[in-house]
Amino acid sequence: MQDVRIRIAAAALLTLAAVVSLQGAFWGFLWWLVFTPRFGALKRTGMVAGTVIVIALAALLITCSGGDGLSYLIRMIVILLIGVWLYSGQEAGEFLYLGVWLLGNRTGFELGMIAEMGMQMAESLATDLDRFRMAIAIKGQRWGVKTLVPAGLVLVSDALSRAQDTAELMAVRGFSCGGSLCPKFTYGARDLVPGMAAIVAGILAFVPVSEFFILYR
Amino acid sequence: MRLYLNTARACHGNWSLTVQGTFCEGIHLVSGDVGSGKSTLALMMAGLLSPTDGSIGQDGISSSMIALQFPELHVTGTTVAEECRSWGLDPESVLGAVDLMDKSDTPPLSLSRGELKRLYLACILSGQYDLLLLDEPFSSLDCREKERLCEILARRSGGIIILFTHEQTSFPRVDHIWEIQGGVLIDCGELPGALVRWEHAPALIKKLISAGRCPKNISPGDLMEAGCRT
Repeated sequence: MQDVRIRIAAAALLTLAAVVSLQGAFWGFLWWLVFTPRFGALKRTGMVAGTVIVIALAALLITCSGGDGLSYLIRMIVILLIGVWLYSGQEAGEFLYLGVWLLGNRTGFELGMIAEMGMQMAESLATDLDRFRMAIAIKGQRWGVKTLVPAGLVLVSDALSRAQDTAELMAVRGFSCGGSLCPKFTYGARDLVPGMAAIVAGILAFVPVSEFFILYR
Repeated sequence: MRLYLNTARACHGNWSLTVQGTFCEGIHLVSGDVGSGKSTLALMMAGLLSPTDGSIGQDGISSSMIALQFPELHVTGTTVAEECRSWGLDPESVLGAVDLMDKSDTPPLSLSRGELKRLYLACILSGQYDLLLLDEPFSSLDCREKERLCEILARRSGGIIILFTHEQTSFPRVDHIWEIQGGVLIDCGELPGALVRWEHAPALIKKLISAGRCPKNISPGDLMEAGCRT
């Protein structure tokens, strides 16, 4: 999907559907199977696998405490798959365009810029994690639970210091608030069908279709 | 003890580096312009980057260490003292040697780059390795620290030490010079013969050679001796 507006709207709708019910998760999963490159969109398999493990542990806890852990597991995995697809298709500047298109050159610009910075931060955190693992290997240590806490602290402090640098740089360059931008979106037939399908999946998740048919039987 | 480069190749897009040669015991200097591939070669030699073609072999090397160009890349501790411990060292002895005793509880990333470089070079150089790779060890250091580093390197015995640098002023005495030109590693040979073949030689060395006063080596003492030679 080329148009960020349709991509984000579809992802939001399908995520909401998966949150609401297992039925919504099923339609979301079906949509993901048909309209995305599926596992071809995975950039960092290790990170996704780690998230799946955390979700599975949470599901196990829910089951142990008497809840429906399986439903939680299925719905969360569908949300994760949609999130991974959304993240992998994101290109630099798209959030800025979206923000300005939605809320204008002041609030929209700033929100879009914050989202862009967040995406940049996510990218650099992933690079920093690779860097940290290399440093651990150079020191002859093993990557494990013992190194997780210092890794988290070093990565967060590094990210904060980078954010501080960026803020100072922007202030030095004269940024105070908002900005002017002409949003550009590429729209094509490849956006229309998945977009419509996401709406249909959303309707099927929210509307009690079976009761509707019972009514007119 | 030997390190073999068997037509090993690294590629990034249109850029490529091809290396061939054998590194024996002693201090080797690998010079080249910024972006020529010195850091890539160092990472390949350390086994942290796999060559796209060819191979890198070792003979008799049981331990190796690499000092990366940017000191931040080594940080895994949350305080300076913890950083020393992460190298398996006693913080007091290391920090005393590099004059950072008062920064023991400071986060390593809040040190200046020069201080951080001084710290991790001290941590690395306190160990004995068969293969020691130093990527731009002189960058971010002041003249006094560069001189101190040269003295420490000169005192080390045994093993293969490889300096990857575009430094033009401070050098320890080296045994062999290599340089990267046009994506290829060129063996300039052993000192002092290598000096006349060394394209990236500092201007002072080139001037001394053209004046018929070829230095015996590249340390400041050797250059001074050649300059004062009558």
